[in-house]
Amino acid sequence: MAELLNNEGASGLIPEETVERTERRWLFAMATVLGLMLAVVVFTGVTQMMNPLSDVETINPATLHLQGEFVESNLGTAVETDGSITLRFLAEQYTFVPQCAVVPAGTLIRFRLTSPDVTHGFFVGTTNTNAMVVPGYVTNVMARFEHPGTYTMPCDEFCGFGHHAMAASVVVVPKEQFTKLRPEERITTCGAQ
Amino acid sequence: MEEEHHYSSASEPERVSPSISRSAALEALKNGPRGALVIAATAVGLLLVGWLLFYFVVFLTRGAVG
Repeated sequence: MAELLNNEGASGLIPEETVERTERRWLFAMATVLGLMLAVVVFTGVTQMMNPLSDVETINPATLHLQGEFVESNLGTAVETDGSITLRFLAEQYTFVPQCAVVPAGTLIRFRLTSPDVTHGFFVGTTNTNAMVVPGYVTNVMARFEHPGTYTMPCDEFCGFGHHAMAASVVVVPKEQFTKLRPEERITTCGAQ
Repeated sequence: MEEEHHYSSASEPERVSPSISRSAALEALKNGPRGALVIAATAVGLLLVGWLLFYFVVFLTRGAVG
């Protein structure tokens, strides 16, 4: 009777050198795949100046509303002397203040956010602008929006019961239209836009 | 041919396939797990292509942020 395989499995059936050669080739293939992905990320990150946020800028979360950069009258869109825009938001449970801001297209936008209560996050829909907002620190992100439109900016870090409803809007308008806006039209709520 | 006892997850004895001979197993495996390698390489290759597509077509086109 031919010798049957029962419960011994495949041990001893495949030559050792075949097993080792197969494993070596697979290891080489996987290392190549991982190396390729790493090289792509590093190359594009270096050449396009895409970096994780590395600034550590602290602020007192208890007095944001009383003094300093994030008092209510200073929130929203501010035009700098070099033509760039600084966009300041407060992220708090469960809203961004202001809830809407108007910015010009094709301009350097500097997002500056902080929080008086818990950790939040934000991202500007369909763009790569995405960062955490941590109480006690100022989040600084630079971006440029080429296409006009209304971008939803939800909170993307769980912050409590109302997290799912926490979102702001960033309204990107053509530069010519932006320059015609009065300052109060840029920083007050844009409502249903 | 008398079947030696071996474990199976089949629910009835009639559904248990007969064991193959050692020489048949050796013949099937002599070139290593080529079929498994093809399947695994195809799966990983598709994942890599998908990753590259998302990275270049979706992520990079949305602009640099720093």
